Amino acid sequence: MPYQIIVCGGLAPDPLQTLEPVFDPAKPSLKNELMLPAVFDPWAAHALYEAGHLAKQHPGSLVRVVSLAPKAKLQQVMMTVAQKLPFELVALDGPGGGFTDAAAVAAALADAIAAMQDLDRSRLLLFGGWESATRGAGVVMQRAAERLGITEQFLAVDELSVDADGSLLVKERIEGGRHQISRCSSPPAMLAWATGNLPEPPNHPQTGMANMRVIMPALQKAKPVTLEPSAEFLRTALPSAIRQTRVVKDVPAAEIAQEIAEWIRQ
Amino acid sequence: MTAMHDELTDQPQTQPLDADIVCTGFGPAVAGFLWTLTQGLQKPEMAGVESKAMPGLPPQIVCYERADDISFGVSGVVTRARAIRASIPNLDPAEIPLAARVRNEKLIYLLDPLGVTRRPAWMRLADQLCRAFSGVLGVAHEGMALPWVPEFLHKRDGFIFSLGQFNQWVGQQVMMSGLAQIWPATPVAGPLIEEDRVAGVRLAADGSEVRAALTVVGDGPVGAVGRQLDEHFGMPAGHRRDEWAVGMKMVIDLPENCTLEEGTVWHTIGFPEPEIFGFLYVHPGRIASAGIFVPSWMDSPVRTSYRYLQHFIQHPYLWRHLRGGRLRSWGAKSLLESGRRGEPFLAGDGYARIGECSGSTNVLTGSGVDEAWLTGTQLAEAVLELLREGKPFTGENLENTYVARRRASWLEHESQAAEKARNGFQWGLLPGFLGMALAGLTGGRLSLPRPREDRHPKKLTDYYAGRLSRSEIERARQRAEAESRPLHDILMDMCGWPPVEYDGQLLVSHQDALLMGGKVQAPADFPDHVVFRSPQLCLQCEAHLCVEICSGEAIRISPENPAGVPAFDREKCVHCGACLWNCPVSNIEFCAAPGGLHSAEN
Amino acid sequence: MEKILVLLHTMDGQIPQAGLETLGLAKSLGGGFDLAVLGADASSAAQQISGGAAKVFAVEGEAFAVSRYATDAAACEALIRASGAPLILAPDTMRFHRALPGVAERLSAAIDTHVVSLSSDGAIERWYYRQRIEASLKRTQRPWILLVEPGSQPPAAPQPGAAPEILSVSCDTRTTVEGFSTPLAGEQTIRPEAPLLFVAGAGWTKKQKDGAVHVEEAADLILDFVRRTQCSLGSSKSLVDLSGEGQAVLPFLTHLHQVGQTGSSPRHKKGLATCCHGEEPHVVGWRFIQERRAINLDPNCGWVRGKADVVYVADAFEVLRELLKLL
Repeated sequence: MPYQIIVCGGLAPDPLQTLEPVFDPAKPSLKNELMLPAVFDPWAAHALYEAGHLAKQHPGSLVRVVSLAPKAKLQQVMMTVAQKLPFELVALDGPGGGFTDAAAVAAALADAIAAMQDLDRSRLLLFGGWESATRGAGVVMQRAAERLGITEQFLAVDELSVDADGSLLVKERIEGGRHQISRCSSPPAMLAWATGNLPEPPNHPQTGMANMRVIMPALQKAKPVTLEPSAEFLRTALPSAIRQTRVVKDVPAAEIAQEIAEWIRQ
Repeated sequence: MTAMHDELTDQPQTQPLDADIVCTGFGPAVAGFLWTLTQGLQKPEMAGVESKAMPGLPPQIVCYERADDISFGVSGVVTRARAIRASIPNLDPAEIPLAARVRNEKLIYLLDPLGVTRRPAWMRLADQLCRAFSGVLGVAHEGMALPWVPEFLHKRDGFIFSLGQFNQWVGQQVMMSGLAQIWPATPVAGPLIEEDRVAGVRLAADGSEVRAALTVVGDGPVGAVGRQLDEHFGMPAGHRRDEWAVGMKMVIDLPENCTLEEGTVWHTIGFPEPEIFGFLYVHPGRIASAGIFVPSWMDSPVRTSYRYLQHFIQHPYLWRHLRGGRLRSWGAKSLLESGRRGEPFLAGDGYARIGECSGSTNVLTGSGVDEAWLTGTQLAEAVLELLREGKPFTGENLENTYVARRRASWLEHESQAAEKARNGFQWGLLPGFLGMALAGLTGGRLSLPRPREDRHPKKLTDYYAGRLSRSEIERARQRAEAESRPLHDILMDMCGWPPVEYDGQLLVSHQDALLMGGKVQAPADFPDHVVFRSPQLCLQCEAHLCVEICSGEAIRISPENPAGVPAFDREKCVHCGACLWNCPVSNIEFCAAPGGLHSAEN
Repeated sequence: MEKILVLLHTMDGQIPQAGLETLGLAKSLGGGFDLAVLGADASSAAQQISGGAAKVFAVEGEAFAVSRYATDAAACEALIRASGAPLILAPDTMRFHRALPGVAERLSAAIDTHVVSLSSDGAIERWYYRQRIEASLKRTQRPWILLVEPGSQPPAAPQPGAAPEILSVSCDTRTTVEGFSTPLAGEQTIRPEAPLLFVAGAGWTKKQKDGAVHVEEAADLILDFVRRTQCSLGSSKSLVDLSGEGQAVLPFLTHLHQVGQTGSSPRHKKGLATCCHGEEPHVVGWRFIQERRAINLDPNCGWVRGKADVVYVADAFEVLRELLKLL
């Protein structure tokens, strides 16, 4: 069946950047947050690629991204993401970052989804990352899905396949490096993805340009969202784990091996 | 909506794209172009203008930027920002991260505290006089601030920017208009030329074509499109792109007790070598940019940047403020310093050139960003005029609108004044400084002539004559090869340059600067973009200048390559293009590719 | 200290280590606590550890023997309501991490995950930005559910007590659990309980000193080492990504092996990084590895900058060949 795949994802700082917290009891932030180059959240990105893959296999499917982020930054990030696969965008213009309240974000996303005129719950798959690279809580997708009344939920998904009868076979990561395989007979369902197994799609300028026809207006129409803080922060800090590294140079491999073997045996 | 997705899911790879205007590179020139163009398109008189590529829609304007993000640009920017402020009258530096107004500016002569630089006699004498009369002359910490900044150099009513942040800010505003798309990580392989008409561009990733009525070429001094246009159309008579520099900088978190004020601008001369000009700019938030320029007329056959930059920041005049600081960011780029003499054909059928690749950088005033921006606005005004009147983008029309505006502006006037300003350096240092002062103070009316032949790097034995013997140089070469280290490092050590003592924070190895500072990356699925054309030529090279000058140590002599042919490591390349113009026999092919710097702070 | 509900589930009919750690944390805080257990053999498992609990509840039965959202959420909701405690502590297992956020939404509760500490005045600590920033916070909203990070607390010694009140919960769901699969490679190389983690980086697949690539030997050396030491195998992101791009690959590596960035943050006592540079996005995954050593030809690699205890500047192929002779 053709699916309506709605992918939720925010922005995260480009992983190579140096991060420093700026403390505030209601709204901590990152130093120079505006300056940091951003990327689409890495796990949400995996979810998006999986959505594209699924949509390709089921002609007539729709992929729509719902993102809560500062508008201008989101526009910039879209210029990279939009080259990867065809999708629509619903943008919510609001603060990003790890210290925003997960419940508030989930509510904003769910309400935006519920307001979609063409929403068809019988074909709805709600995708996202299993946690964000910012807050790292792993609660937004579940809360949003619950708010939308979606009670078939999967966490840390690496694979989704559709059986001949239309049921969804889902592989979730569990403890011990294994996967649990579950069968969900039909949508609606929520899948919070781990990395999946697909490589990052290459950039396609044609896809990008076509996407922009929909994405640019969507950004201009982005609804402003305020997020109320709900926690009281007491402290933010960088972890202080600097070791005194001993560098072993110009020593034969056999001696090094000896030292390592002893260390392993300790 | 679903129909669109059905079409797109099986998009054939090389179907040509159609746009109205395609721009190559997103630097200050194209930023100025798109800013002016998108603003202009929103005015009522432009309401009827439609896309020719996609009728019914507004003009389709796309820009392809090679770097992975539009914020990954490099420049040590202090600018009078005349053109920028004309475009953006309410420009408030507080809106742009790292931007500051220039508050105090000094030109500083740095003495040689180590006694190892290759100063000519007259400069050594100047140093002695400075030390002897230090009280009177105000010499302190081995430096002397000149009592005034020459008029032609001053930036007193201007701004200090991080170019990456400025580009990002402008880019975001441009894209929010909905009228232009700026695509990062999309290098352009070259122009599409059909019977001397430029019909668009070819993208590097998969060779796909983007056709457009106008191609705006703003891909900088080493951009592939500009260079291929020069190859095809040639240069105007007597014009050559023969004078260059590498600019390399660090962005530094100043130590907590630092007393340098936001908006401080220092221009330096004299250290680490007399040919190397330096700068220090202080941004808000206790952050400073410090950098140097290593010019093509410095005749060292092992000229290099990074180690010199490290010695520069350790000069007592600077180190008293920088010591204890932390490296935040690092980057490097080539500067085209040929000015007016390096100006290519500015327009032709279907194309126009703006920015540094069009020779707009002014080497007398040491500024390029504002000039580039201006050429962008001039082209945009021309395009708006032509669109309004329904006229095609022919060479003639572009000459009459864009080039005419350029010729009538202060850009032309000042570039003419600057044209001969640096001729003197081709003779030597003293003529160079005198010639620059002469040209500067007379507005270019008086200047030194250029010698028939430009200064070229000397042979090693000549360059080090009187300092190192032939056998010492030979030993150095052998060590360099055996240890896979750059030759300049060993020769500098031998000449008495002290080793750099790494502190892991600000003084770090070159590789650490790449990774901690520049966060240099390369995607896995592209071929090497730096290629040595003929290995035979490499074998004949005495000192591989490409290895020494490479900003990222991406080019090195490698034992596993055929002896003498350098090896290239894509993952270290910052796409500065220094290799391109340093190879004395032009044996290096430098293609467009994504990757490089991943820092948004340069 | 407020009243706490310790909410646990069984794994293979037993309370897992992570559950005992959560119980230990609750007991150490001194206030009263209830105990609730969900899963196969929940009531007998509960009875084995319910010593000291004010009230004890359980939900068991076939529907709740498997890990699945709808049934787990219904059960947890019932257990939490039955207890009424304002603060709920549960282990941050995959099962509960899936279920409890949705339960929080149903109860208009707050929820925080990956909690590494809880003080008696109700302040928690957790990590942000992939373990690059730590923070401590408090909330006034109740109920408040806290998922306690496994490995962050000492476990409680099991103390038997009262039998639980068994709650009857019914729930419709369209999901059935079909089974489990072992890693794609067909060989178990991820061992979270192993004392040693061996991380392979992209350098294994690059050109070596002789100018050639030696992927097969790399694969043999690595797998041989993993087999002999029974260590856990990890990888850097770049090496895992290469497998998607037609590069020379180590076929037994998948995204599951990735450490750092979008990968895991394992908790082994020792970690040995080979042929990887030690850049920040990867090293964040090493946050909980206590003793760190690295083998890298580059004396200026990231590990040297305070990220490892010992860096051996050497050829990993050579060292591993020698090491295998000794193991």
